[in-house]
Amino acid sequence: MKKRILLLVVFISSLFSSCEKDDVCDANTITTPRLVLTFYDINNPSVLKTVTQLKVIGEDMDKGIIFSPNATGEAKYLTSGSTISIPLKVDQDITTYNLTFNSGNTNPALVFSDKIQINYSRTNMFVSRACGYKTNFSLKPTNPIIHNAVPTNNRKWIQYISVEKSNIENENETHLKLFF
Amino acid sequence: MKMKHILNYFSSFCFLLILNWAQAQEKVVVKPNLETVAQEQSKDSILVKKDRYGLRVGVDLFKLSRGFYDKNYKGVELTGDFRWNKKYYLAAELGNENKTTEDDRLTTNSKGSYLKVGFDYNLYENWLDMENVISVGLRYGLSTFSQELNSYKIYNAHPYWGELPSIPTSEKYNGLSASWLEVVTGMKAKMFNNVFMGFSIQLKTLISNKKPEGFDNLYIPGFNRTYNGNFGIGFNYSVTYFIPLYKKKVVSKLSATD
Repeated sequence: MKKRILLLVVFISSLFSSCEKDDVCDANTITTPRLVLTFYDINNPSVLKTVTQLKVIGEDMDKGIIFSPNATGEAKYLTSGSTISIPLKVDQDITTYNLTFNSGNTNPALVFSDKIQINYSRTNMFVSRACGYKTNFSLKPTNPIIHNAVPTNNRKWIQYISVEKSNIENENETHLKLFF
Repeated sequence: MKMKHILNYFSSFCFLLILNWAQAQEKVVVKPNLETVAQEQSKDSILVKKDRYGLRVGVDLFKLSRGFYDKNYKGVELTGDFRWNKKYYLAAELGNENKTTEDDRLTTNSKGSYLKVGFDYNLYENWLDMENVISVGLRYGLSTFSQELNSYKIYNAHPYWGELPSIPTSEKYNGLSASWLEVVTGMKAKMFNNVFMGFSIQLKTLISNKKPEGFDNLYIPGFNRTYNGNFGIGFNYSVTYFIPLYKKKVVSKLSATD
């Protein structure tokens, strides 16, 4: 009898799933997504195009977004890829960035700067005990992006912006296509 | 957290001591009762022992006392068991809890009532008229409760625009329920007269869990904190009073085989 009871206890104990650590937010969890921008060739719109020494800096911010964390000095803030991810403000419905092409180039005539203002609405959603909440964004149906050159009378280096996904829920897809 | 572990170990240790003490006491106080003597004389010295049957009711001191040192907790649990036969006890716990949990990113409150029913199996061979219990048992638990989210933080893996402070809110989630199965191991030692003290540790696994829309059940009264899976754990530290109802004769194995 005693043995049977013990067996039952052992059996039921085996039903308990092993303790899972849930105090730390797992890096693979989908939390607040960044806005994913991908650059394309204006002359050949289906072909990706890499930017040159692009620096992205938020309006009223001192430092740019770090694209190369291993680099030193100014190079940390530069990218020469064809796609970038930029964080949106989670406490406001507007985020503005300056995108500078050929940043740091010694010839000022080759340095172009465009300003994009992103207009969106926000939804806060529960993720888990460890991660808390996340914010999902939805680009405004009218004027989602306001695009200007800096200064405004200059020629814009980005020639066309198209919205691919207006609901920003993860970072696995391109939300905006930028043609230059 | 560490303090709680130490407390658990400490109280486990204390009860081991208490059980030994109770055992020692019992041995000293044991007197051949008249009935047994009479039986012995009439039935060619076959020892007859009488087990007491009845209802044991009590309260969980762990939950009750926690309200004094933890401002985020109020709770009470009534425990009861009824001796079914020599080894089995029908057992039940009825409780109510109100707990506020302050996690890094969430502050939540959970309150509600629960009922657990099941049995305990006594593994302990008592000497003579001792009535100590070292048991394993099973319970089915059922809880109805409500939760309230008091504040939350938005997780941002890329805090370029800075970290935001937690956002106060008061989101209420009513009409929640959960059920679970638990394995209980514990002990009860007779302190004096009909007063017992004991503790138990419960391992739990959720069977059903009615979660609110867009939120999770982070604390279930009676089940305690939830983890990612179905696992849960509990602790109980009780003082109980035994109400004797009737006695049953037990033929001692030793004398029967003589």
